[in-house]
Amino acid sequence: MEVPAKLLDPKSKGKSVNWTPWVFITPHLLIFSIFFLVPILFGIYISFTNWDLIGKPEFVGLANYKELLFQEDSSFYTQFHNGLKNTFIFVILSVPFCIIIPLLLATALNAKPRFHKIYQSIFYLPTLFSISAVVIIWTLMFNVNQGPINHLLGQSILWTGSQPYAWAAIVIVTVWWGIGGNMIIYQAALNGIPKDYYEAASIDGANGFQKFFKITLPSIRGQILYTVVITTIAQFNIYGQPLMLTGGGPANSTRVLLMDIQQNAFGSGQSIAGIASAMAILLGVCIMIVSFIQFLFLRNKE
Amino acid sequence: MKNKWLSFSKLVAFLFLLVMAIIWVVPLAWGLVTSFKDNMEFQTMGFKFLPVEWITTNYTSLLVDNYSTPLLHWFSNSLIISVFHTLLVLVVVSLAAFAYGRLRFKGRNIIFTFLLATMMFPGVVNLIPLYKIIDSLGWVNSYLAAIVPGAAGVFNIFLVRQFMANIPIEYDEAARVDGAGDFRIFFKVILPQLRPILMVVALFSFTGSWNDFLWPSIVFNDIEKMPITSGLQLLQGMYIAQPTILMAGAIIAIIPTFIIYLFAQKYFLQSMSLSAGIKG
Repeated sequence: MEVPAKLLDPKSKGKSVNWTPWVFITPHLLIFSIFFLVPILFGIYISFTNWDLIGKPEFVGLANYKELLFQEDSSFYTQFHNGLKNTFIFVILSVPFCIIIPLLLATALNAKPRFHKIYQSIFYLPTLFSISAVVIIWTLMFNVNQGPINHLLGQSILWTGSQPYAWAAIVIVTVWWGIGGNMIIYQAALNGIPKDYYEAASIDGANGFQKFFKITLPSIRGQILYTVVITTIAQFNIYGQPLMLTGGGPANSTRVLLMDIQQNAFGSGQSIAGIASAMAILLGVCIMIVSFIQFLFLRNKE
Repeated sequence: MKNKWLSFSKLVAFLFLLVMAIIWVVPLAWGLVTSFKDNMEFQTMGFKFLPVEWITTNYTSLLVDNYSTPLLHWFSNSLIISVFHTLLVLVVVSLAAFAYGRLRFKGRNIIFTFLLATMMFPGVVNLIPLYKIIDSLGWVNSYLAAIVPGAAGVFNIFLVRQFMANIPIEYDEAARVDGAGDFRIFFKVILPQLRPILMVVALFSFTGSWNDFLWPSIVFNDIEKMPITSGLQLLQGMYIAQPTILMAGAIIAIIPTFIIYLFAQKYFLQSMSLSAGIKG
C-alpha cells in the first residue's frame, strides 16, 4: 500500500492539525451525508409540501399530516389508517413467532442431539433466499387445489384470498424465511451460560421448565432484548410478502403501509410524493416509539 | 439418573428438531419436484408429490427465451451488486471504525455520538428523497444505485469498533515506537486482527444486499439491469398461469446461494454468533 511520505513522518505531527483521521472517516461521512443525512432532512421537508417527485415542491404546512390523521373523507386518510393498522397487525402476529420459534430451536440444538449441525443448516438456509423466490415457492404450497397444505388437511382453504388464512400464510412465510439470524444469536448466547448453573439447579431439584425460565431466559435477556427490537423494526418494514403473496387482499385486509407509500410515490399515474413522505414519516415515528417502549419495558423488567 | 434425564431431553430435542426440519425442507423439496412437472399435468391431475413425467422444459424455456425474462442476467446483476456492495462496505467501515476507535482527533466523540444517534431514524423515511438523489446523479438503472447508498449505515462501524476495543492498545504503541504512522498501524497491526468481525460484516452486507426487495424495485425499471429479486416479481406477473415455470425460476434463483452456503456455511454460522456478543 502506497502511503504519502508526509503522513508517515512523525515530525509532521503536532505542528498543525493532523488530517490523517479525516482521511479515514471521510469516505463514510461522504456516503452517509449524501445517502442518509440529506435524504432524511429532505424527506422531512417534502412531507410539508405537495411535491410530485418532478417539479418544485410547494410548501403546504401541516396539510398532509392533517389530511392523513384527521380528514376522514380523504382517500389518503383511509389508505393510511388501513395500511398502518395492517402493519401493526402483522408486527403483533409475527414478532412473537420470530422470537419464540428460533429460541426453541436454539434450545433444542443446544442439547446437541444427533444431526444438530444439519438441522441448524436447514433452519438457517432460507434466510439466504430472496423474498420473491420464497413467496413463489410458498404460493404453490398454499395453492387451493394442487397445494400440499390443503391436500394434507383435506380442505380446500383459500389461503391467500380469505381471512384469517391470508395473515396466517404471510406469517408462516415470514417465519420460515427469516428466523435463522435470531436462532444463531440465541445459540451463541446459550453456549455462553456456565454449565454449573444448571448443575446447581439440578441438585436443588429444578425441572427442565424451571431451569429454562429461571436460568436460561434471564441469562440471555440482553440478546432477547436486542432481537426483539431489531426484529420488530424489520417487521414494520413488511412489504414483499403481502405484495407478492396476497397482493394486499382480500379486500385490502393485508395491504400494508409500505405498499401505499410505494404506490403513491412511485406507482403509475402522477406521483404524490409529498403525502407519501408524510406517511413514511408517521410510520418512522411509530417505529421509534415502539422500539423505545420495548427498550424501556424489557430493560426494567427484573 | 442424571444421564437418563439427559438422554431423555436429548430425545425430545431431537424429535422436535426432526418435525421442524421436515416443515422447513418440504417447501423446498416440493418446489424442486414441481419445477420438473408438466404444467398441464400439474393443473389437471390433482395432487401428486412427484411428477408423473419428469420434464426439463420449464428450465429451458426460461433460459432460452432470454429477452423477456433474462434470468441469467438478473442473476449476474444480483451477484455484481452484492459483491461490490460488500467490498465497499468493508473498506468504508474498517477505515472509519479505526479512526473512531483508535485515533485521537478533535470532534471525534461528537461525530461518533451523532452517527449513533442517527441510527434511531428508520430508513423508510429517506426512501422517497433518496430516489430523487439517485435520479439527479443519473444512477437510475445503474448498479451504483443498489451498491452505494447501503454503505451509509452506522451499525457496522459500531460493531467493528466494539471488536477493536479488545485489541490491546499496546500493539499500536509498540508499532508507533518503531516509527509506524496511522496508515501502517491500520494495515499492518489492526486490519489483520479484524478478520473475524469483518467476515460478519461481509456476510450481513452480502445477504442484506442480495435479499433487498423494495429499493431495487424502485430504482430499476430496465429489465436488463434489475437484480433477481425484482426479476422474479416480474416473472410472477408473466407466468401466473404457469406455476411450474415460475417454480423453475425460483429454483434457479436459489441454487447459487445454496451452493455458496454449502461452501461458506462454517463462516455464516460461526461468524454470525460473534455479533451475538453485543448486548442490547
